[in-house]
Amino acid sequence: MSENKHRVSRRQFLNYTLTGVGGFMAAGILMPMVRFALDPILKEEAAADMVAVAQVKDITTEPQRFDFKVKVKDAWYESEEPKSAWVYKDDKGEIVALSPICKHLGCTVNWNADKEHPNQFFCPCHYGRYTKDGTNVPGTPPMHPLDRYEYKVKDGKLYLGKAKPRGGA
Amino acid sequence: MKWTVHDVSMYEKEKQYIDTAVVPLLPLTFSERAKVAAADGEFMQLVTNEIERQLKGRLFLLPSFTYFASETLDECVERLNRWTSELNEAGMRHVFYVTTDQKWKETKQGLLGALFFLPSIPFEHMDDSYKQQIVQEQTTKLLNAFISQWV
Ligand code: FES
Repeated sequence: MSENKHRVSRRQFLNYTLTGVGGFMAAGILMPMVRFALDPILKEEAAADMVAVAQVKDITTEPQRFDFKVKVKDAWYESEEPKSAWVYKDDKGEIVALSPICKHLGCTVNWNADKEHPNQFFCPCHYGRYTKDGTNVPGTPPMHPLDRYEYKVKDGKLYLGKAKPRGGA
Repeated sequence: MKWTVHDVSMYEKEKQYIDTAVVPLLPLTFSERAKVAAADGEFMQLVTNEIERQLKGRLFLLPSFTYFASETLDECVERLNRWTSELNEAGMRHVFYVTTDQKWKETKQGLLGALFFLPSIPFEHMDDSYKQQIVQEQTTKLLNAFISQWV
């Protein structure tokens, strides 16, 4: 008896599978259309690709490191890439957000880490140095100043965008 | 630097600056300890990846040195030392091993490179923020240990 109940007839089987496959196909056709419809919104978000990183009130004249994540998409998959920024207010009270990526070979620089050269950014890899505004110290390996993040302030929060290179010292 | 085409071509250009190889030592097993071993492996990967990110201009993170937990220590040491000599010959002045496997402790003397231990952490039942905090702590520790080997 119970065996009978569970038996699926050939026709039923075909019906199931075809609806299944058909469903897939419909989804395949619909997806691009839905994407088309949504795309303008998605684009706008991409343009505003800035990430909230810190509260403005926490920013001092001493560089502090803030860590954040940005979404990146490579050929295979989307992932979150960890990033950091050294952020401070300069003498004029303007916010400066520097990329910590050493312009020599890409290590992460630290503020005030070398006792012999206080108040500079220091790269532990080949002892590259930068002054507070990110300018590379001549005679150390880096040939360019640290990149600066584009930033904006909204509702008391600091948002960072892309890190942009500056001219060499 | 990592074992990718992009990084290898950078390595070929900047060889003189890259003098350190990092080799994670990763035990495999399918015994009842498999889960622990896998968790340790994941943790090690998180930490070594983060270190690579911060020190990529000077160190090369190699794919893990893998062995079955059932292999004898002597066999492992011999093979690892062969790797190390080869790396030295290729210009790596420093070879750093990273592992959670306590068995390497017994042989500290016989190894050609420097051994660094990570604790084995029961990650399975931890929430993400705590996990992250531990990874950060261990990364910072190991990072400083590496840097102090350099000077
Ligand atoms: S990577 Fe910073 S000095 Fe070489």
